Amino acid sequence: MSESANPIIQFDHATFGFPGVVALQDISLSIGMGEFVGVIGPNGSGKTTLCRAVLGLMAPLTGHLRIFDCACGELRCHHRAQIGYLPQKGVVDRNFPVTVLETVMMGRYGTLGLFKRTTKRDQAIALDALAHVGMDAHRDTALGHLSGGQQQRVFIARALAQQPKVLLLDEPTTGLDITTQHNVIELVAQLHKELGLTVLLITHDINMIRSHVDRLVLLKTRLFAAGPPAEVLKPDILRQVYGKDVVITEKDLVIVEDYHHHH
Amino acid sequence: MLELFTYDFMQRSLLAAAMVGGLCSVIGVFVVLRGLAFVGAGTAHAAFAGVALGYLMGWPPLLLAIIFGLATVWITGWVEEKGRMKLDVSIGILYTTTMALAILFIGLMKTYNAEVYGYLFGSVLSVTSEELRTIGGLSILVLGLILLFSKELYFIAFDQEMAEASGVPARKIFFLLLTLVALTVVVSLKTVGAILVFAMILIPASTAYQLTHSLRTLTMYSILIGISTSVSGVLISAVWDIPSGPAIVLLATSIFFLAILFSPKREGRFAQAA
Repeated sequence: MSESANPIIQFDHATFGFPGVVALQDISLSIGMGEFVGVIGPNGSGKTTLCRAVLGLMAPLTGHLRIFDCACGELRCHHRAQIGYLPQKGVVDRNFPVTVLETVMMGRYGTLGLFKRTTKRDQAIALDALAHVGMDAHRDTALGHLSGGQQQRVFIARALAQQPKVLLLDEPTTGLDITTQHNVIELVAQLHKELGLTVLLITHDINMIRSHVDRLVLLKTRLFAAGPPAEVLKPDILRQVYGKDVVITEKDLVIVEDYHHHH
Repeated sequence: MLELFTYDFMQRSLLAAAMVGGLCSVIGVFVVLRGLAFVGAGTAHAAFAGVALGYLMGWPPLLLAIIFGLATVWITGWVEEKGRMKLDVSIGILYTTTMALAILFIGLMKTYNAEVYGYLFGSVLSVTSEELRTIGGLSILVLGLILLFSKELYFIAFDQEMAEASGVPARKIFFLLLTLVALTVVVSLKTVGAILVFAMILIPASTAYQLTHSLRTLTMYSILIGISTSVSGVLISAVWDIPSGPAIVLLATSIFFLAILFSPKREGRFAQAA
């Protein structure tokens, strides 16, 4: 359905789910090296399944998924280490006794592999990652003492410390105030440019990302559309996915009114 | 009091207490952070059932304790992984089943066996040189494995899914952790007993949790608290002629409550840390 010149992630008629439950159906999509792709869709549309699939934590029931030219079921630990992942907030115990630098150093562990000790070089990489997200002054602060937005920056730094090829972010702005949401997205866009990362950003918030991404992918179990934002964000396409809740204003803003009622 | 140190049995007990205290407090860091407290308590009782079967059949009790302990943690880990049941429910069932087995094995014994009760309540003052060697050997094995896989163990304790996603073989490391918990419990069984061993694992790390925000410091504090309370507990037990297990655990508990009172962490954290 959607082709890229230099694909790093390739879905080929891939269906995901559990026996009896289809979470994503017949997905064909290829994501090129260095692309910034936003993945949007309503609740339960399969966004998180897509995320788990790209991480190699879920193999397709039918069809194929290739990541770094490797079947996703055969994805080894060192492949996974090349994907910097920012999970949805709320998974981690915020009172965990860990400092900012210790958190970011964990990003080195998978890349290093078993039996290897972290060295000065790993620490330098971690500190560099912290500098990229503007948190280097907080290296010895307890993670739990930071604000939500600062914690997201630290987790992005941990992903960067993996020196990944792909940055995969699962709803990175959930639970943040509006200014912080913008700052986090700006940071991701900046990292995409500066480090040449392939970015896959999953979100509810179409408005927040539309001006930054190269392509938008619209999911609702099936892949409804994929392309530049202007091509995807059309009233007829959006109404198919979101129903009547979509309002398109004069400024071309897409508002999914019903979204907040789900939360 | 100083003459106590000249007795062989006292030297052996102090050494055993220091080793067990150190070992339990290190593994305790991962148990507390990964939320495996109840798993450990269940393992202790399973291991005790192994000991009882050993005495009943005339088989080596420590070997059976290891088998029972490992079977319990592996079944528990497998059930959690499959998502069939909540961890505390499955361990609760195994806990009571193995305790029932232990009571059954003891009931089947023709005569009263004081040694079996030693494993239930602990008897550090009667540790033999041979047992000391076993404790030493297993302690070196467990500590060596923890050292070898420390960065992975820390990561899965922090966030296992994240560890898996970023290229750490998190599943295997989780089963390694469960195995190390079982081995630690077995090592400590003779010294502090099945009932109190879990206090030895939980209390030093939970106390350290109150005092620091850093993983590294947490581990150091935990070891310090573990070894010092174990050794002091044995001394108190010898001087005042009270049972060693309770002496160690009650001393550790007192320090835990002191740590809560004087914790530099903000108040909202106490409930979670405990």
